[in-house]
Amino acid sequence: MDRILRINMTDRSASFEPMPKQYENRAGRWLTSSIIHDEVPATCHPLGPNNKLVFSPGIVTGTSSPTSSRISVGGKSPLTGGIKEANAGTGWGRRLARLGIRAVIIEGRADGFWLLKITKNGASFETADAWTGKKLSEVYPKLFERSGGHKAVDICSIGIAGEHRMPAAGICFNDQNARPTRYAGRGGLGAVMGSKGLKMIVVDDTGSDDVPVANKEVFNGGRKNMAAALTEHAITKPKGALNSYGTAVLVNIINEAGALPTRNFRSGRFEGAAKIAGEAIFEGNKERTGSELYNHACSPGCIIACSNTWHRPDGSEHTSCVEYESAWALGANCGIDNLDQVAELNLLCNEYGLDTIEIGGALAVAMEGGLAAFGDGKRAIELVHEIGRATPLGKILGAGAVATGKVFGVSRVPHVKGQNMPAYEPRAIKGIGMTYAVSTMGADHTSGYTIAPEMLGVSGKLDPLNPDKAELARNFQYATAFIDTTGHCLFIAFAILDIASGFEGMVEECNGVLGTKWTAEDVARIGKEILDLELDFNHRAGFTKLDDRLPEFMLYEPLPPHNVVWDIADSEIDQVFGQ
Amino acid sequence: MIEVHLYGKLRRFAGSRRATSASIAFVACRPGDTVGDVAGKLGIPLEDLGSNIFLNGVYASLESPVQNTDRLGLFPDDMQLLYKWYFDPKRSDGPEK
Repeated sequence: MDRILRINMTDRSASFEPMPKQYENRAGRWLTSSIIHDEVPATCHPLGPNNKLVFSPGIVTGTSSPTSSRISVGGKSPLTGGIKEANAGTGWGRRLARLGIRAVIIEGRADGFWLLKITKNGASFETADAWTGKKLSEVYPKLFERSGGHKAVDICSIGIAGEHRMPAAGICFNDQNARPTRYAGRGGLGAVMGSKGLKMIVVDDTGSDDVPVANKEVFNGGRKNMAAALTEHAITKPKGALNSYGTAVLVNIINEAGALPTRNFRSGRFEGAAKIAGEAIFEGNKERTGSELYNHACSPGCIIACSNTWHRPDGSEHTSCVEYESAWALGANCGIDNLDQVAELNLLCNEYGLDTIEIGGALAVAMEGGLAAFGDGKRAIELVHEIGRATPLGKILGAGAVATGKVFGVSRVPHVKGQNMPAYEPRAIKGIGMTYAVSTMGADHTSGYTIAPEMLGVSGKLDPLNPDKAELARNFQYATAFIDTTGHCLFIAFAILDIASGFEGMVEECNGVLGTKWTAEDVARIGKEILDLELDFNHRAGFTKLDDRLPEFMLYEPLPPHNVVWDIADSEIDQVFGQ
Repeated sequence: MIEVHLYGKLRRFAGSRRATSASIAFVACRPGDTVGDVAGKLGIPLEDLGSNIFLNGVYASLESPVQNTDRLGLFPDDMQLLYKWYFDPKRSDGPEK
């Protein structure tokens, strides 16, 4: 039976509640944003006792549906001050789903740090003080060993950054090989977890039942269509672009488009791009290990398998996973073209529990402010160790790019609503600029991946933002919010937006699990409902349309090589959600 | 001369195939030549080309006209990672003419 597990950290009590009628069929982002909207005072301090942290697996998570092991985490963000949903691929959410738990709500605030264990029999606590102050690679193996091994449990934990409530702290989950490497990274939800006094959550689903499927025939039909689309499409199929090169295949592509933010968004092209790209990772691994390494699945049941590893000169594994965003944030954005240094920075973010995008942004702003020269990877590594030691300088960097910019007097800070921009330059790709501007999450490419070529409107000959484009940006965000609700990884979008039967398969999978009769129209309706909840929360938190703006420097600094500025009228931005 | 930046399996049509550096081929062209003509002069089978074609950093197609000062970026069919709404590179000249 579907139920909600409510955890009060103040007195360490736990209670199961039946799924409220008004949340029927809700899961993933739909459910986390509903609960945050309904239960959290929008004006509360994100690190105070009135904020809540909500975990929810998606609608089809835990079933045999492919590429669907995402866990959504929601709360009020200490980075943006608005609502936040961040999700990760891991087996952790599958176990929750198999236990019939649609959401875990963390509220209150404890002294010290605690370990929460969730099993078939309920929830229990033990002190976690002994696990604090350590790198996560020291914590996970020991905790797995003590908890019955990776076959029995999955672990969610914050790192040192979360313990110190740094706004760039993410929430870490283990991957399929028990590595502490998969993050609900953005927006500082790790700091919220830390503020609750919750260090880690171990989920053991021993004795659980399969996730109930209301209509097996409908579900199986949908699942097969989804799997067919993923194995057929050039981007998502085995040995396709994502499986061979990982998301970092984008480094060369976006660089060629003149839209790879370089040296804190000073340029759209990085001369060292090829050295940190997916191809370089593939070739470098081949040289160092003696074999062609195709990527692996981060979570059970994923058939895209886009997660890479990077290996040291002696062939041993250095880090996983060097995503496009991480290779860019810790590489091009800092002017660093040494893949071993980028890998070390990536590893340290995983060790300390940090969002690679926000930390890459903070490092680049720090370089702008004179703390290091652009390209000085050695110094960048030292700076991330400052965060791991929680020194005053480390805490400044761990507070993100905006805070770092304020402290060091930097005006070129590429953010929206306090969150550093990801790896697509909005001056060169106007469509993603629209998403950054209006997203309820702050600057976030995953809110609506409007990197459509028709929006690569850099020459000025095409107006990429007639009202139709505002509609496209809006519809992208609706569809994305729905995918974040299903539990599917957003990368299924590559396949299902090209292959109609794949899209229908996604809807049928949901109908099969829930017994609903949703159509494509319901996808848009539900997506809109989610966005409306999030927009309402942000409105009540004090956001206005004046927050839906890109930073001023992008209006007056032309970006090479296209030498373009952000020239989209505010009135056009405001059309997206009609505010 | 046109500076053609090649990626993935297309690198073999340039002097350097190393993935950690640029694989660049230089091609002389005549007035009226298109991206497809340049690919042909390099011996690249058109079916190996994906939709990710960039002419001076702008999304382009096989029919886009080229000049001798241009920079052209060509990605193979297994590296197209932009969303749909790409146009058929063989027929359309793309959104920006």
